[in-house]
Amino acid sequence: MSYVPSRNPMKDQVAIVGVGVAPYSRENTLRSMGALAIDACIRAAQDAGVSRQDIDGISAQSVTAQYLQPALGIPELSWWFNSWLPFSNQLDAAIRAVATGGCEVCLVSHSQLFGPGRSRAAASDPFRVRHSVGTADVRAFLGAGHVQAEPHSVFGAAGYAAWAGKYLHDFGARREHFGYVAINARSQAARNDNAVMRKPLTMDEYLTGRMIREPLCMYDMDIPTDGADAFIVTTAERARDMAQPAVLVHAVSSGQAGTSSEEHTLDFDHTSQVVTARNLWARSDLTLSDLDVYCLYDGFTIITLNWLENMGFCGRGEAGPFLEANWDTEESRVRFRGHARLNPHGGNLSEGHTDGAGHTREAVLQLQGRAGARQIPDAAGALVAIGGLFSTKLGAFVLRRPD
Amino acid sequence: MGDSLSEVTDDEVLAAFPDVRLDHDNKHFYKGLLQQRYLINRCAECGWSHAPPRARCPQCWSSAVEPTPVEGEGTVELVTFLHQGPPSPGVDYSEPYPLVCVAFDTVPGVRVSGTVVGAAREDIAIGLRVRHRWVQRDGRPYPVFEPINGERA
Repeated sequence: MSYVPSRNPMKDQVAIVGVGVAPYSRENTLRSMGALAIDACIRAAQDAGVSRQDIDGISAQSVTAQYLQPALGIPELSWWFNSWLPFSNQLDAAIRAVATGGCEVCLVSHSQLFGPGRSRAAASDPFRVRHSVGTADVRAFLGAGHVQAEPHSVFGAAGYAAWAGKYLHDFGARREHFGYVAINARSQAARNDNAVMRKPLTMDEYLTGRMIREPLCMYDMDIPTDGADAFIVTTAERARDMAQPAVLVHAVSSGQAGTSSEEHTLDFDHTSQVVTARNLWARSDLTLSDLDVYCLYDGFTIITLNWLENMGFCGRGEAGPFLEANWDTEESRVRFRGHARLNPHGGNLSEGHTDGAGHTREAVLQLQGRAGARQIPDAAGALVAIGGLFSTKLGAFVLRRPD
Repeated sequence: MGDSLSEVTDDEVLAAFPDVRLDHDNKHFYKGLLQQRYLINRCAECGWSHAPPRARCPQCWSSAVEPTPVEGEGTVELVTFLHQGPPSPGVDYSEPYPLVCVAFDTVPGVRVSGTVVGAAREDIAIGLRVRHRWVQRDGRPYPVFEPINGERA
């Protein structure tokens, strides 16, 4: 493509202020997805110091704006939107709605309830089993049938494994390179009370971990969890009167490649990540080295290696050696330029499957100076990149502290 | 093409695949499965092939798309081995189950998924040359691939 969209009229005009979490858990929470979403929304509003009467926009997903508005007693909405997994599109939409006057104070909601097929604890909850009744399968939307489902096609998780194999093949990479992403996540999660996997992981443990979808083992895949996040998004001006420091949205990008399915992605140079990253930097005055916090999606380790390459940390196929070169052996985690960190909260791999809401929350808390034991000193800018490699939503955000 | 496809009626394909979300765009693909023919949509105007089946050609936007049998040979482009997975007839995870994507020589740009039969595990790798054939599992046809002996791309 010759044209790269670089206009950015909403630069630094919109802020994220409040965050709220319904803590992520691997156990059966015995709660509904709606209850988790409501908890996170109320905490986000209280965190920002806004009342239900102040909120006039909702950007949500499977627990919809139509569910949340009456449940939270919000008298009127002037704008709403419902998106799909993972988290990113509803944040992108909320930022644009606030920037263009669609609403003033927008609640952005994300919630997660893991399916009955993903653990014994989940399967033992009859209400969780009932929850999936009548829910359209993702493949059904694509019009697919029995020859397109795992184990007969590379749909979903099998697709990430197949492309991880291609990555090893194309670039002479080693499984150790995936391992750095998994080990970094565990070491970071040890500093996060909200993380579900906090036991340190060694490279030996990684390399001998139970193989699931070769070449990806159990440590390459995220942890199924229940939980929810919510955010208050408002104008930079209005944010100044709220209870927490404003985090400004500097640049936003949600790109998609021409063919982005697991089967038909052309190669690593033609993924939606490539488009998303290129357009983000075209709109941003800040560059990679201006930032201190890097929250890059890690539903599978192979995703993070691609984000590192596509965001410009290193060249194509070089993410493994790049992590190796920036590895802090003593702390078993990545360190850039002495202080900057990758997924300081532990990511999907160790905090839990937050679908990118956790990555966003961590960036906001770091820039507000509220990240506790894992606070990066004087963090002023953050990169958040959400989404995988294929036909899911991808979004990337440059966030910054006000001057 | 239209003549042989009409040998399978809409009612028959609906009855054969009760759990598949059939529609007017993908029903031809499933009718093809019942006849053991692998059908990929091809544009009669510009020649472009695409999958999964859509109503218009993504290149020239013509509606003259025709489900066309894929013949011949191809190359393995993606490989994974499933050490566990959902229950499925004829799939035994006691040995890692090979799952590959293949690009047919005659349909550039289209990849299809399936397993590999009749190959040693160490031979199942990117670049393996294969041809496709059919297996029946629980009365349902599945396209699978077998190696063309001695050939690598």
